[in-house]
Amino acid sequence: MRRRSVLATLAASPLVVAGCSAGEQVDTGDGDSGGGAGSAFVAAISAQPDQLDPHKTTAYPAFQVLENVYDTLVVPSPDDLSMQPSLATDWETSDDELTWTFTLVEGATFHDGTPFTAEDVVFSYRRIIDQQLANSARFATVADISAPDESTVVMTLTRPTPNLLSRIGAFKGMAIVSKDVDESTLTTQANGTGPFSLQGSSASEISLSRFDDYWGDAPQIGGVTFRFLPEPAAALTALTTDQVQWTDNVPPQRVATLDDDESVELGQVPSVDYWYLAMNCAKAPFDDVAVRRAVAFAVDRPAVTEAAKFDTARPNQTAIPEGSEWYYDYAPFETDVDQARSLLQQAGVQTPLTMGLMVTSEYPETVTAAQVLASQLEPLGITVDIQTEDFATWLDRQGRGDFDAFMLGWLGNIDPADFYEEQHRTDGPNNYQKYSNPVTDDLLDRAAVEPDQGTRKSLYDQAAKQIVDDVSYLYLYNPDAVQVWEQGITGYEVRADKAVNFDTVVLPS
Amino acid sequence: MTGFALRRTLQALVVLVGVSVAAFALVHLVPGDPVRLALGTRFDQATYDALRERAGLDQPLITQFFTWFGGAVTGDLGVSFRSGDPVTLLILERLPATVSLAAASILVALLIAVPLGTASALRPRSVLDGAGTVLSQIGISVPEFWMGIMLILVFAGTLGWFPAGGYVPLSEDPAGWLRSLVLPAVTTGLVSGSVLTRFTRSSVLEALSAEHVRTARAKGLGARAVLNWHVLRNALLPLVTVTGVQLAYLLSGVVVVEIVFAWPGLGQLALQSVQSRDYPVLQGAVLLFALVFLVLNLVVDLLYSKLDPRISA
Repeated sequence: MRRRSVLATLAASPLVVAGCSAGEQVDTGDGDSGGGAGSAFVAAISAQPDQLDPHKTTAYPAFQVLENVYDTLVVPSPDDLSMQPSLATDWETSDDELTWTFTLVEGATFHDGTPFTAEDVVFSYRRIIDQQLANSARFATVADISAPDESTVVMTLTRPTPNLLSRIGAFKGMAIVSKDVDESTLTTQANGTGPFSLQGSSASEISLSRFDDYWGDAPQIGGVTFRFLPEPAAALTALTTDQVQWTDNVPPQRVATLDDDESVELGQVPSVDYWYLAMNCAKAPFDDVAVRRAVAFAVDRPAVTEAAKFDTARPNQTAIPEGSEWYYDYAPFETDVDQARSLLQQAGVQTPLTMGLMVTSEYPETVTAAQVLASQLEPLGITVDIQTEDFATWLDRQGRGDFDAFMLGWLGNIDPADFYEEQHRTDGPNNYQKYSNPVTDDLLDRAAVEPDQGTRKSLYDQAAKQIVDDVSYLYLYNPDAVQVWEQGITGYEVRADKAVNFDTVVLPS
Repeated sequence: MTGFALRRTLQALVVLVGVSVAAFALVHLVPGDPVRLALGTRFDQATYDALRERAGLDQPLITQFFTWFGGAVTGDLGVSFRSGDPVTLLILERLPATVSLAAASILVALLIAVPLGTASALRPRSVLDGAGTVLSQIGISVPEFWMGIMLILVFAGTLGWFPAGGYVPLSEDPAGWLRSLVLPAVTTGLVSGSVLTRFTRSSVLEALSAEHVRTARAKGLGARAVLNWHVLRNALLPLVTVTGVQLAYLLSGVVVVEIVFAWPGLGQLALQSVQSRDYPVLQGAVLLFALVFLVLNLVVDLLYSKLDPRISA
């Protein structure tokens, strides 16, 4: 999927060279005098992070920055997202699956110079659990965490948790902070063990500089500046005029042109996100599975995908994207309006039927997709009333169950439990559509504690089949992760989980 | 004169108190829950309750109001739900960017409006007047974001003269500050300038037909002297008011332009705080905007009464 152009770049137009390049403004301020213009690496992201406390924020822009500043015990590998050693070099599980012993890396230090020890891990995890911070649910099965010595952490569990590594390593929300930190400063300052340390932040940018005592391979570049450019046209112009070197603020409709543009490189890989439509299973007539199946048969997924994402997403009828080891090939809904009509009749639904569809301007692709869906449901006699809300109102209505149907996506899932458990278990914390099927519950419960990988996959496959057949979610597509960077930069890779790691970036000499 | 000033200042203070009550009420009446929003889609009841308590949102609304109002009177606007920073700090951090942009935009606007408006009025229905009318009509009707993006594509992309967006503090790099200021200032300046051009034209036209101007001409005063002493001085007086209003509007943040140019001003801050239902920041921003309007109105009124003694009567 990676595209590389072999032609030499003609990026720098004469006028840019003539002194209007912003090179001198984008210096990372790390005092790296030897690097000259080449030492500046500026990444354009679309929004300012809300705050920098990794345990409290839930915002993607914050994680884009924090990914480079903090480490976790384990980390998803760039290739297949399986959990690899990071601050933990090794781990063992007891025979009853209830005790996990982690051995920690030697010689790692925090940016303030204090050495990293097992106590920091205990402090970080206890902080999340005791203060009930945003990710405390990830520790739901953890009974105790202790540090028998400086380089060992022991976690005891209330029940087997085969996906524990993914729970503690899948993203920087589970970052290890120093036990000596003044917690009130974490929102604006950072003290991690990662390859870059926080240099400064303002309302328009955040700068990081290389951490020379990094325990892993030290970065090649002197630092990274994250500049907040919300408008895609401005971000892309800044990229082509050499003011920034990297951006993920790429509108899908521009991808084809950028692919042909020899001054930039386009990185496009399938991501682990998925987008879906959910109907209210607690509200007539959508409480009738026949009605939900009728809608599922009427939807033309490729058309919805094309309209919302152009060529940057793959239609899918289950949640997990093709390419994941957990992918389950199941697609029972061929677009079939006759079938849909007879299902509606069977359910005894009077048409025309109005279906409110709640979408949010925060994610414009849902608005576009809703318009296409509306036209596809029209022949069925279903009038779609598109309700565009701002995200705060949207979430409010979702939480209160005040909807016929809504659209949204789930981002950054790795383990199958992330894809199904909270969303489709009866009483699952994110089961807003109020789906309930004892068969599904049973499958999910068994899968959650099943240590054997093969058996676990088969249980999740069966659960997925049930969820798709019951149309708890009507799955639409998996989007690609799309990022562009300046021609000549090497060492950078787009990842399926959209984590951005700049420690491997090498600038053209 | 002093009585008038005192009376107007007192009025402004009463309005300010009213605004703070209204701001609080409106902000809290808007649907949407900041705690839900902070947690994102992955929602957990225990975490939700903990966060809500920490933000003080479990208190009765009236208690919340007096806590906030008490703080505001002493200059403490609370801390942001989103970042945990003091609201005063967040506002102060963004003030230089906002003031830079507002001042530069007004300058651009006046540089366009006064010469063009005056010239159009002196030769009504001439080619120049027609062109001026059409241009200012375009300036008023073209959406700011479109104009901004066009300027970026041409002057930052194709020509590469200015950066595509972002703000450079004056203290860090004066040349860079100026360069980053040009495109956003021109975008907003063109819009404000279009409004002010129309206003200048009609104001000068009116002044030209005044009786004392005819008298001056009859006395045999030169055209230039008539224009400078009898027309412009009177015609530009009302312009002070309109410019004041435009400046207040610019100082309260031109959201669209700030987003397009990644300009870290108060408009962006206000928008972010609406989106994240960051009540303390939003209340602080609304209060500040009200203050800006009140102060500028007061200054304009006082200036006016100074320039035209009939006003304070």
